[in-house]
This record gives sequence, structure tokens and C-alpha cells, in this order.
Amino acid sequence: MPNEIIEGILEAIRLIFTFDPEVWGVIEVSFRVSLTSTFLAALVALPIGSFIGLRKFKGKNEITNLINTFMGFPPVVMGLLIYLLLSRNGPFGELGLLYSTSAMIIAQFLLAIPIIMGTAKAAIESVDPILKETVLSLGANERQLWWELIKHSKKSIIAGFLVAFGQAISEVGAVIIVGGNIRWETRTFTTSIVLQTRMGEFGMAIALGVILISITFIVNYGLTRLQARVD
Amino acid sequence: MSSRRPLKEFVGDHKTAIILAIIIIVGGSVGTYFVIDYLNAQNPEKITLATTTSTYDSGLLDYLLPKFTEQTGIQIKVLSVGTGTAIQYGKDGNVDVILVHSRSREDDFVNASLGVGGVPYGIYRACVMYNDFIIVGHESNPANLHPGENIITVMTKLRDAIDNGNMTFYSRGDGSGTHSKELALWNLIGVDPETRWKNQPDKYSETGEGMGTTLLITYEDAEAAHEGYTIIDRGTWLSLFEQYTTLKILAESIVGENYLLNPYGVIPINPILYPHVKYVSVCRFVGFLTSPYGQDLIDAYRKNNQVLFHADFGTCDHDTACTTTADEITIWKPYQIEFADLTV
Repeated sequence: MPNEIIEGILEAIRLIFTFDPEVWGVIEVSFRVSLTSTFLAALVALPIGSFIGLRKFKGKNEITNLINTFMGFPPVVMGLLIYLLLSRNGPFGELGLLYSTSAMIIAQFLLAIPIIMGTAKAAIESVDPILKETVLSLGANERQLWWELIKHSKKSIIAGFLVAFGQAISEVGAVIIVGGNIRWETRTFTTSIVLQTRMGEFGMAIALGVILISITFIVNYGLTRLQARVD
Repeated sequence: MSSRRPLKEFVGDHKTAIILAIIIIVGGSVGTYFVIDYLNAQNPEKITLATTTSTYDSGLLDYLLPKFTEQTGIQIKVLSVGTGTAIQYGKDGNVDVILVHSRSREDDFVNASLGVGGVPYGIYRACVMYNDFIIVGHESNPANLHPGENIITVMTKLRDAIDNGNMTFYSRGDGSGTHSKELALWNLIGVDPETRWKNQPDKYSETGEGMGTTLLITYEDAEAAHEGYTIIDRGTWLSLFEQYTTLKILAESIVGENYLLNPYGVIPINPILYPHVKYVSVCRFVGFLTSPYGQDLIDAYRKNNQVLFHADFGTCDHDTACTTTADEITIWKPYQIEFADLTV
């Protein structure tokens, strides 16, 4: 088995630098789907999450519990739900979106929302209350306060985004159900690794794993640098 | 650091515009994907095929389909799942055509009384090819199987060896074609493995995985305890066996018996039930598979220098005791004409 790991690493280097079209296609689909769904989720979840963090209102505890529960929503169940919704005899069947990257984006978007929402809410709440009072005493309205708090908790918000992205790119259960692991179209790193393992191509499976981890490292490194810079 | 100042000021001055731009870019690209995927779903030249892991993972379809696309311009998206799942995808109308191996369920699929309101899920079925199932296990052969034994003897020996704790049988347990074949074989000697060895995974273990993974699990057990046995289609075995050096073929089909033969059938989804399916393109695909050209391609396919599948359209009455051969020939003949001049 260790031989296969070394073989896999060498194979990974070969695939990347010979610009293997299939591997680059898989990279493209994986990142397109994961980044799009995470950005889209951030657009929706950041304002709502930070708003919940800012305000105090009746039922806030219940909403918090709900968000926390959905942060651990099993991806494979999400996949099944989206399958049933997009299935031809389901409510949105006429769109014909099942087994497409759109279906994968929808599933990962829904999985990312609670994660980004929960971290944004927690980030806003953990800002020093003295800062909050200072900003208000300087005559800021709620919108300005909200913006100041977001600026102060950028780091945690970016961290939440990274967690959501990490989950999206490494997720396999939902994307294999709604994407179908179709070659050249909906095959991602993770579904490809499942296929290669099933076919007994362990070297290739390890190679894809190595590439996935390397690229994720680079993306995270970039975003962490950004995180350090925003201070 | 001073070089970053103007950027920071620019961002500060145009905050709203930048946020709007991000929203428009992300929203626009997402919208574009949705539109593209929607249009692809309407495109009659793109069909979706649900098939079994044995036809896809063995590389047959990656070899066959480009030749069809080259001739017709029709692209085929392949979902590689178990027969049970493929049939369900077909029943849900989520694919245009299925290529599976479980004759009894295929016959149910085209049976009007088992469809929706008297309309069957598929109209016609065609035999495409067959291979056979084999039983593999550790070379020390704890069940003491001998070549040339008939299927009843083989299954009885397996049952006794399992009862005596000498071996473990690994079942797919996933409703696949291989799983239903395995259950049918146990049924020949009146054994229902799921109740007989219920909750005894050291005797009878359901992996719930595809064929490749199940073979891997069998191999790991054979390595550790010399006990693993499983049933596998020869195509998958031939594409994988080189890595599993201690596993050997311990039982296979003998002349005059067809219990272990494994026929594959293709069925287009019924357009009356699901008007969106691309029936015309699918019929051209079936015409391709069953034409002399497609059949020769299947016979010519090799993996590790071994023949994996035997084409049998039109000869399935002889090969696998199929009873609908004459009808199949009549129905699919017109669709084979466009491939008549092609040779391998």
C-alpha cells in the first residue's frame, strides 16, 4: 500500500504538469461549483446572520438552535431532498436540472448557508460590547453600527467562509446524488476518487486526493493572507 | 505599503458599487449556468443513460460511446450506478434510456400492468450482450469447490461451509443486478441468506457497495483470514483481478447450464409516460448497439487482453434462452439501417 501512495504523488505531479484535460476538467468543475455556491450562500447568509447577531428579539434562541442544527445537516440527506425536488416527477422536474452542475450548486448553496450564517452571527455577537456602545454614543444609526461590527469581525467571517468552502469542496454524498458523476460534466474530485477506488485504480485515486489537498491549501493560504491583510 | 493606499481609498469610495458588482457577477454567472443546464436538458442531441457499474467501470462505454457520437452527433451522459438504482432513475423519468442486467426486473419494466395507469415505463427491451458470473474466493478454497460442479452442488457446498464457519460470503446487498442474481442462486437450494445468517456478518456480510469495492473487501478478508468469497461478473473480475493475487475463480458456468449467465438489456423510457425523453435519439442509440457494427465493437472490446462481453442481439434465444428474440429483431431492425455500412 505505501507504494501506491508514492505512486499516487508522482502521478499527481505528472497529471498536473502534462495538463491532463480530464484532471483539469475535474478541477474546473469542483472549484466552479464549490466557489459559486459558497459565494452565493455568503451573499444571502452574511446579511441575515449578522442581522440576527446584531438585534435582540423574541425567538432568537430558537432561531439560533435551528441554525446550529442545520450547520450539521447531513449532506447526503440534502442530496436526496434536492433529487426529489428536481426529479422529473417532483415539483421542479420540468426544469430538467437534475444531473447538472446547477443541481450541485443548489445543494451546496443550501449546505453552506447555515454555516456562514451561524459564524457571521457568532462573530457579530462576540464583538466587545464597549465598542458597540462607543459607536452608538458617537451618533451612529443601526446601519452604520452594523457596518462597523462587520468590519471588526472580518476575520471570523472569512473563517466561516473558509469552513463552508472546505465543506463544499470535500463533500461527496450530495454531489454524487444530484450531479451523477458524469464524465466531463459533473465529475468532481471527490466523486472521481470514489469511482477510481471502485475501479481499483488506487494510484489515480491518491493522485486526485493529492491534487485536491494541494489546491485547497493554496486557496486557503491566499484567503488567510487576505484575512491577515484586512487588519 | 503606500502603493496599497489608493486601492484602499478606491474601495472606500466605491463600497456600494463594488458590493453591487460582486452580486451581479456571482448572480450573473449562476444564472448563466442555470440557463445553460436548462438548455442542455432540452437539447435532443444530448441523452442520459443510466447503467450498471459493470459496463461503465470496465471501460466498455468509454470505448463504445465516442463511436456512436462520431456517427450521429448525439452525446450521451452516463450515470454509472447499480441496476436497482438505474431502474429507479428510469421509473422517475430522470434518464432517457437504461442498460441493465436483471432480466426479471427488466420484464417488469416493460410490463404495462406494472406501469403507471396501464402505461409501462419502457416500451421495448432489446438484448445487447452477455457475460457470466463467477464465484471467487481465497486460493486455499475452504468451501472445497471443484471445477465442473453444477450450480446446485456449488451453492450447497457454500451453504455448508458458511454454516460451519469456514468462510464468509460477501454480498453486494444493494439491490443491484449482481445482488438479485446472487439471491436467485441461493433460492435454487431454498436458502434465504438474509434470514438464515441474519446479523452474522462473519458468515454472510452485506457490503452495500459496488462490485469493485465488494471485491476489495473480499480480498482483504481473504488476505487476513482466507475466508472471503463473493460472486462477481466476469467483466469486472477481468478488469481487476491482477491486483488481487490470492483470489481465484472457484466456480463458473458449465456447459448446459445458464444460471450463471448474465444478459444485459437496453430499454428506452416510454415517451408516453414522460414526454420530455428524447425518444428519437434513444432509438438511434439502441439501433447502434444492436446493429452488426455495434455488436462487432462489443465483441472486439478487450481489457487486459481478455474478452469482457459477448454480443448476442438476435442470438439471445440460443445463448441465454431468451424468448423474445424474434420480436426484438423486428422492432429494432429499422433503427439499425443507418449503421449498416460501418465496420470495426
